[in-house]
Amino acid sequence: MIPPSPAVGASHPANREALSQALVDHGDRLYSLALRITRDRDLAADAVQEAFATALQRASGFRGESSIGTWLHRIVYTKSIDLLRARGREAPLVDEDKAPPGSEDDRVGGAPTWSRPPDEILLGSETREALERALAQITPMQRLVFELREVEGRDTDEVAGILDLPPGTVRVHLHRGRMRLRGLLSQHFRGAVA
Amino acid sequence: MTCDELYRRLTDHAEGVLEGDVCREVERHLADCSACSAIRRDLEDLSRLCREKASIHLPSGVRRRIEGLLASTA
Repeated sequence: MIPPSPAVGASHPANREALSQALVDHGDRLYSLALRITRDRDLAADAVQEAFATALQRASGFRGESSIGTWLHRIVYTKSIDLLRARGREAPLVDEDKAPPGSEDDRVGGAPTWSRPPDEILLGSETREALERALAQITPMQRLVFELREVEGRDTDEVAGILDLPPGTVRVHLHRGRMRLRGLLSQHFRGAVA
Repeated sequence: MTCDELYRRLTDHAEGVLEGDVCREVERHLADCSACSAIRRDLEDLSRLCREKASIHLPSGVRRRIEGLLASTA
């Protein structure tokens, strides 16, 4: 569902000016969000473009309860999910990780500690490729939360606002994702020079 | 606090949302336990690795189409 819009009348030029400025200020991050949800450049582009079209249509109802940036992020999120569903993905961000408390994710010793990699290994292309492979193995929701928080540096409250989840739930997804990734990458770092 | 209890709180600790007493307990444990402090270092390395990933930019063609959309309704 498209979120209720947060400012001025649709015919008022301030809407277009505000949206133009939002495109400058948030365009990259909106596209990044769409790309992280859809994993498809064309779908992500469509999601952002459709989001601005929707924002224009709904500008008259914008009440200013959130920033225009937050509002646009929510619209892009919804558009991205809708586009994935239209491609046959019924529940694009389902969190299939049903590991109960007490499972390996909740215990020390589930994965060997990384050897301390020097920066040329930690930040090298092979590690980036290993990270991409690992990201493909965690749940879509864990991956999205992890990327918004750790890769893009958004704070937890912002991520919670975009996903319409309580901050505590975001932290649970983040924790599970981080621990799974640590475990998955431990093989890569085994043998790295300490 | 056991190692497993600490393990479950590492993200909340990193996020700064633990209550004072629990937070101090976590920090005492980390100071005394090499295994748990090594896991925390792994997670810090993971964060560093992610921050170094290339940023994503809205393609210029998409940006122009949206600018056109906004201009066409003026």
